Amino acid sequence: MSRFFRAAESDSDDSESDYSDELTASDSEDHSGSDSEDDSSSDDDGAKKGGAAAGRGRFFEGALDSDDESDDDTVRVVKSVKDKRLDEIEQAVSGIANGLKINDWVSVQNEFERANKGIQKAAGLIAQSGVPKFYIKSVAELEKAIQAAAQKEKSASKKLNPSNNRALNSLKQNIKKNNRQYESQIQEYEKDPENYDKEPEEDEEQEVKKPKVKKAKKVVVSDSEDDKEDEEEVEDDGFTPVGAGGKSIELTQDNLYKKLREVVDARGKKNTNREEQVKILERLLVIANTPYQKIIVLLNLISAQFDFATGISGFMNIPLWKNAEKYLNSLLTILEANPLYIVKENVPDVDDEDKDRLPENGEPVLIQGSLVAFVDRLDDEFTKSLQNIDPHTTDYVDRLKDEVGLYAVIVRSNAYFKRLDLVDSISRTTMRRLEHLYFKPDVVIVAVENATAALLSSKASKDSEALIHDLCVFLYKNANSLQRTRAMLCHIYHHALHNRFFVARDMLLMSHLQETIHQADVTTQILFNRAMVQLGLCAFREGMIKEAHTCLHDISGTGRVKELLAQGLQAQRYGAVSPEQEKLERQRQLPFHMHINLELLECVYLTCSMLLEIPAMAQAGNSPENKKKVISKPFRRMLDYNSRQVFTGPPENTRDHIMGAAKALSIGEWERSVELIKAIKIWELMPGCDKIKEMLAGKIQEEGLRTYLFANASYYSSVGLESLGKMFNLSVNTVVSIVAKMVYNEELAASIDQVANVVQLHHVELSKMQSLALAFADKASGFVEGNEKLLETKTPQPQQGDRKKGGALGGKEQTGKEQGGKQQQRTMGPRGQRGGRNQFHNGLGNSVRGGRKNQQQQQQ
Amino acid sequence: MAAQYDLTSKMIPFLDLHLVFPLLEFLEINELFYTPTTLLEARYELSLKTSMIDLIDKLHGELKDAGVTPAPIELVERRKEVLEKLMNSQTEAQKVMDVIENPEVISALRQDKLQNLQFLKDNYGMTTEMIQTLYKFGQFQYSCGNYGGAADMLYHYRVLSTDDTLGLSALWGKLASEILSGNWDVAFEAIQELKEIIDKTHFASPLHQLEQRTWFLHWSLFVFFNHSKGRDAVVDFFLQPAYINTIQTSCPWILRYLTAAVVTNKRRKNLLKELVKVIEHETYQYRDPITEFVEALYVNFDFDLAKQKLAECEEVLENDFFLVSMQEEFIQNARCFISETYCRIHQKIDVAELSQTLNMTKEEGEKWIVNLIRDTKVDAKIDYKENTVLMNNNTQSVYQQIIERTKGLSFRSQVLATSIEKREAAQLKAAQHEKNHPSTVVSETATKA
Repeated sequence: MSRFFRAAESDSDDSESDYSDELTASDSEDHSGSDSEDDSSSDDDGAKKGGAAAGRGRFFEGALDSDDESDDDTVRVVKSVKDKRLDEIEQAVSGIANGLKINDWVSVQNEFERANKGIQKAAGLIAQSGVPKFYIKSVAELEKAIQAAAQKEKSASKKLNPSNNRALNSLKQNIKKNNRQYESQIQEYEKDPENYDKEPEEDEEQEVKKPKVKKAKKVVVSDSEDDKEDEEEVEDDGFTPVGAGGKSIELTQDNLYKKLREVVDARGKKNTNREEQVKILERLLVIANTPYQKIIVLLNLISAQFDFATGISGFMNIPLWKNAEKYLNSLLTILEANPLYIVKENVPDVDDEDKDRLPENGEPVLIQGSLVAFVDRLDDEFTKSLQNIDPHTTDYVDRLKDEVGLYAVIVRSNAYFKRLDLVDSISRTTMRRLEHLYFKPDVVIVAVENATAALLSSKASKDSEALIHDLCVFLYKNANSLQRTRAMLCHIYHHALHNRFFVARDMLLMSHLQETIHQADVTTQILFNRAMVQLGLCAFREGMIKEAHTCLHDISGTGRVKELLAQGLQAQRYGAVSPEQEKLERQRQLPFHMHINLELLECVYLTCSMLLEIPAMAQAGNSPENKKKVISKPFRRMLDYNSRQVFTGPPENTRDHIMGAAKALSIGEWERSVELIKAIKIWELMPGCDKIKEMLAGKIQEEGLRTYLFANASYYSSVGLESLGKMFNLSVNTVVSIVAKMVYNEELAASIDQVANVVQLHHVELSKMQSLALAFADKASGFVEGNEKLLETKTPQPQQGDRKKGGALGGKEQTGKEQGGKQQQRTMGPRGQRGGRNQFHNGLGNSVRGGRKNQQQQQQ
Repeated sequence: MAAQYDLTSKMIPFLDLHLVFPLLEFLEINELFYTPTTLLEARYELSLKTSMIDLIDKLHGELKDAGVTPAPIELVERRKEVLEKLMNSQTEAQKVMDVIENPEVISALRQDKLQNLQFLKDNYGMTTEMIQTLYKFGQFQYSCGNYGGAADMLYHYRVLSTDDTLGLSALWGKLASEILSGNWDVAFEAIQELKEIIDKTHFASPLHQLEQRTWFLHWSLFVFFNHSKGRDAVVDFFLQPAYINTIQTSCPWILRYLTAAVVTNKRRKNLLKELVKVIEHETYQYRDPITEFVEALYVNFDFDLAKQKLAECEEVLENDFFLVSMQEEFIQNARCFISETYCRIHQKIDVAELSQTLNMTKEEGEKWIVNLIRDTKVDAKIDYKENTVLMNNNTQSVYQQIIERTKGLSFRSQVLATSIEKREAAQLKAAQHEKNHPSTVVSETATKA
């Protein structure tokens, strides 16, 4: 635009060269644009280009007008030259027509080139009087003919001769480039092919008022002044508004549509001053007084606001965002007040755009536009800004306050869509609404709802659970599968957040999401991970340590927690991440206020691991094969590292505390263990932390007892139940119950002597010989098994028959296993990809064994 | 107190109108939970929806006796209407019946339904609409309370019809008729057939299938707790994953019946573990003394609680339409479970305390233990002097372990060897040319064997 200004300011002599500059610039731009796209321009493509070209056409005409004044005399001089040139072109054009008739593409090509040369020579003339109509006609016809010929050529059995063919191909390319320059004229021609060149007069559209150059020079001084003027203009009509190129713009009711169209056409082009556009639109908005006008101006104004947001990383600045929100709100207000105006996607085109449209006989006026896209965009920009603002500043908090407004917009538009019954839009906004709510605790949801209700003067829903439930159920019923999945996950998250573990678990299991989630897109997977983690935390709060551990293990056990939850970028050890990947990852990050506290998560995970791992380690004791069973690798690693340390100071961070507690627990000092666990500060972040601490203390006592029994069973032949109870501060009944469970599950070789109130430990000490014999037996059976497998793999063909016979049996077993697998899922079994792979192995092993059994039967 | 464990109201939505009558009558006779008049009223309202005019009349009278005056009804007209309809459909159905009962026809009928249909059409001019009349007549008879006739009609209909959906509902109808007329053997067959159809049919929506299964679970209770083989069947059917899932999703209260069946089933003790898992899972959704008993015994090993729950169980069972007949048996078996678990965990047991746990006197307890030792082959002795039971713990000796582990090895190797031989023979036959490899496997297994 700056060049444009310069052009206007400098002498008018210069301007011509400048315009030709513009011309070439925009030409090359056009070409590059078309090259990158497919050459077979589809319909909407064409329409877009048509619009652009039309815009430029007008632009040229405007420029011509301004030239008229200064170059008046030269025109008169070249009159005869003009005729000569035109004759030349005319000849070429008739040559083209002749060539076309006899299908001689070589001559057509020659004539076409001649005509173009003529046009170039007559550039000056054309600048004045426009492109000669007969040329346009001919070019348009030519393009059609070429297309037809190309079509025929494809299907025809008899090909053209090579030179003819070559000419056709090059013409095909040239004509496209060529015609793009004259697109508007061609369109005009195509509208009315008969009368086009009969019209003798050039149609002079004077869309832009003639510039008053002097005035422009005076006014266009600086941006700031311009701004001031803009503001004044609104109130004071004494000033003339000044538009692009220093031309003053009079905005009235009459030219509102024209101006609007100009702005629309300029949108998305290089060198378009977006600020300027917004200002024009804002002024138009003031002028507009019918609902129709207001609606279309607002629609464009909102898009213009969004145009400011640039690039992937940047975010819309906040005042602009607020403007967009404001305008969107006023748009909604207008639409709500005038139910007969409907903004919709995919509205049939209406020709008379420049007229105010009024609803007739109760028929609503349909206007092209997408409110839901605005809402989506507004929400996305909000998230983006949150991603980019440092969460530890007050800015972030301030920004977060805008959420209420945004939420209100979502709710409001949702209501609007409901009135129009646009299912897709309703589900999209409902989804947005849900995603603003699901991670919030009850109190916050109620607060947000109340604030929104105050803004919209509707009634707030008091029960957050019911609200979430309604939203989700709506989505289950109406939305597409992705939205359903997300709604389900949000619902699960919300249940888990509010300690409804069983409900959340059942939803998760019934949805079978665990099996399919790895096929979902990344953000959904992140949501799934979040739901999973929240479920784990919920189980922990409810005192279900084992469940908590299984839920958390997949995520916390990996060491990539940050990445999996999209809560910050993981430091990459090998720098294997390309910048694009990093950028994408950055985009996925959740805003800070949605984060799950990672330290708390780790603390919970490690505590669960400790409670499960320490007794298991004690149970494994000295038998090496049991030692391999590791419940939580990260915990083991940490514990190993910790015990290798020569000096361990007093615990400082959460990890130290847990490691200390674990060590104390393993040697039976449960009191110290409890003390250490309770000293962890991060528990404060959990709701009801005192209760949780109590629960943990209880668990530690029980696990301490188990650990003690496992570890010391070999040193006692009997242990008094009461003294055990005293030792771990548990009632005798609980002790009995725990011991009974261990005995019944065959974890501990012991039995209870009820009369003496002691636990009798039946310890069987294996002699060296015996244990070696056992090991040998194991090895031998392993060997046989290996041989069987070997035979199986080495002989695929003859074995096949056997297998088939065993198929019925083996097959049944397999399906049984599968069903068993399903069953297992209800019990939080292994999940996800890993579960799948395991099952696969099971399946294999099964078929092998099934086959063998069958063989045995045959033998017998 | 026991009222909270009454499942009648929960189950009624899943039962047929006619099947509800026995439940309500049971409650009325035993004067449980509700006042007799309300129950009477409920029955009356139910009967209004059927065509059982006599029953309506009777209940109407009974209600009047009970001091409630129900709205007057035009019984006479209705009776006429019903009779007329009955006559009409009977004459229509009779046409079909005449044909079918013709011995010639019977001998000509084959397995293939389509062929049969064609045969009947060609020779006797029977159309599918005519066959439909059988269904309608059966339905109407059922509605009138003539269950035997209904079952008959529906049987014939099912033999002839090719319509799957109607066939399914005909089967439901037949099941209900058989249940209500007390033909448990036939009903049992119907149940099995029904289950097959439900499992095999591909329903358009899983929800529909779930609904069918839920119904199935409820209806089958009538049969299973009255048929001699029913107990086994309950366990077999209900513990299938599809049905367990159904129980968990739509009707957790069925767990009570499943639990009762498992507990009373001597042969299927290994299923207990599975059951315990399910019960543990569903405790948040459904619990009653029966599931709590199992939970106390097998999850918490709290014998006192188990004892207490057992007492509650007695009451609940007594008030349950389906389980009342097996109350005694349940208690016996439950005791057995308790003592078995007890013995497994304990080494030395005080007879007095055990008897107390089992809600028995000391002498009874002693007798009980003797029986237990004899029946279950627990390795235990009663020490009369100290009044204790001594359990001999039987840990497996190392020798035994090794024997166990190596038992199958030689046999397995033998199998390997023979299969290799077979393979070689096959190879020889298949490819006459060179025996390319008397492979490494052979040598390995040979040494092994």
